[in-house]
Amino acid sequence: MTVLDLLDQMQTHLGVPWQSQRAGGFSDGVLAGDPYAQVTGILTCFTPTVEILRHAISSGHNTVICRESPFYSRGEKQPVAYRSGAMPAKELLESDPVYQAKLALINTNSLIIVRFVDNWDARKTDGQLEGLAKAIKWDQYHLAVKGDKHFYRPGNNFFSIPPTPLGSLSRGMMESLNARTIRVMGDEHSVVRKAAILHGLILVPDLQAAFAETGVDLVIAGEPVEWEGAEYVQDMIAAKMAKGAIFLGSEVSEEPGSGEMATWLKTFVQLPVQWLPSGSPFTTIPQETK
Amino acid sequence: MNRLTRRAFCRIAGAGLGALSTTPGLWADSSKITAREIMARMSRNVGVKPFWPTADTIKIGDPDETVTGVTTTFMSTLDLLQRSQKAGNNFVISHEPTFWSSSDVVADLRDDPLYKLKVDFCETNRMVVMRYHDTWHARRPDGIFAGFNRWAGWQEYLYHEPGMERGIFYKLPPTTAGEIARHLTAKLNQRSVRLVGDPQTPVSRVGFAGHYISECMTIAPKVDLVIAGESREWECAEYMRDAVALGEKKAFIQLAHEGMEEAGMDECANWLRGFVPEVPVQFIASGDPFWIPT
Repeated sequence: MTVLDLLDQMQTHLGVPWQSQRAGGFSDGVLAGDPYAQVTGILTCFTPTVEILRHAISSGHNTVICRESPFYSRGEKQPVAYRSGAMPAKELLESDPVYQAKLALINTNSLIIVRFVDNWDARKTDGQLEGLAKAIKWDQYHLAVKGDKHFYRPGNNFFSIPPTPLGSLSRGMMESLNARTIRVMGDEHSVVRKAAILHGLILVPDLQAAFAETGVDLVIAGEPVEWEGAEYVQDMIAAKMAKGAIFLGSEVSEEPGSGEMATWLKTFVQLPVQWLPSGSPFTTIPQETK
Repeated sequence: MNRLTRRAFCRIAGAGLGALSTTPGLWADSSKITAREIMARMSRNVGVKPFWPTADTIKIGDPDETVTGVTTTFMSTLDLLQRSQKAGNNFVISHEPTFWSSSDVVADLRDDPLYKLKVDFCETNRMVVMRYHDTWHARRPDGIFAGFNRWAGWQEYLYHEPGMERGIFYKLPPTTAGEIARHLTAKLNQRSVRLVGDPQTPVSRVGFAGHYISECMTIAPKVDLVIAGESREWECAEYMRDAVALGEKKAFIQLAHEGMEEAGMDECANWLRGFVPEVPVQFIASGDPFWIPT
């Protein structure tokens, strides 16, 4: 099976029409490597770090399917409202030592990097939501019609949880997700009862939709734009219209979805498929040593 | 105030009001000062030629409101506005937006209950909120980094990297990435400083990446430690993680946007006091919005 055959299979099993064109930035498809190469095995992950690529080489999985690109941008020339950075200029990128070494790692070892985001997210089941909800063991609290075939359809993201102080809830989540540096907003003693799960980068309309649902006092997400969504949540808390937010980080919030993706791929791909978490890039700051 | 009059107002404020305010008789009561007059004095004192478009306009309130006191801050959150009002300051000069977007466009917010509540609070308390972002950054030295250098105690360590006129670089006495993270946590009153790389990484040269990957890529080869304010997590943090994995002896500190820039508004308060003697001018921190559970 070539990489193009794999993409063809993915389109066949997607369940919705493939839509590959974006207004700006990278589209789904092959970001690096030879599309005609034979696939020897597949790794799914949030982002293809150098560590992930090394594992792909040593374990014989030559194809990496991910959400973020290998080179630290979403390929946009003019990102909307400066929320993210523009793709680095060609001269800057090509003279960069990290870029050169990583590209050499990809080329020398004939790796293939496939972006799969917009089409994965367009499915009738929100794999990112489902993965995250299960990872924090909230399946049991999901507010949805039981037996619905598309239980985790997009927007079906509300959870009624046993009343819990925000602090202990956050700490439990860090353990479930093996995350070291999640960021929380709100009083740790506030008791939360109903939450919306979002993932990745969130914008103000996402928050408005989440808090418009009756009783939602907590949002779980990846990362906010700090002069947009973060301020919105701060104000919701000050207005006593919400209790808080847990920002897991983009990688932490998206990674369980890559596990769902591996599970889905295994239903039709007869090659080794493995989910390999990229892990959060951040470490904790150790306390002063005497 | 609608968008058109706000825009017209700004043009006037930039161009002509400075002259008006010195006209005898117009400001008969010397103890009273309006937001408009303070803005005109800022424009005269900052040493930046007025430009358009700019985000530096009044976001809510009447520019002719009598000012009872001035608050400078990183961001005019509802909590900050409430604390400013309690402190007796009805004029808030905020580095970042009030209505949750860089343009403070409110057209889509009319039905948002939070928007209504924030507007009501300002109107009930006769608050005036102005953004002061583009001009304060355009001042030389950049008002935001002047504040950062003072709070961090790094003024004396600044150096110029040849060929990088706009970059901000420090040559510190030998230390480690972890030590710097702790230092900045304390000096900048932070709760959410995050690190990429080994905390034991030896550090002397430090550079600021601002917010974006292109800035990070430009300065990383020159320094041991890169600091960014808010940056999307798939940009600078992932780049620095890979740099470390490839064997580079470097580290990365990600501050909240507030952590990088709040000190600059303390600097702004100090500057304002020099030419606004009529009313108290107070810096009030909006504060690190995040905390990290341990």
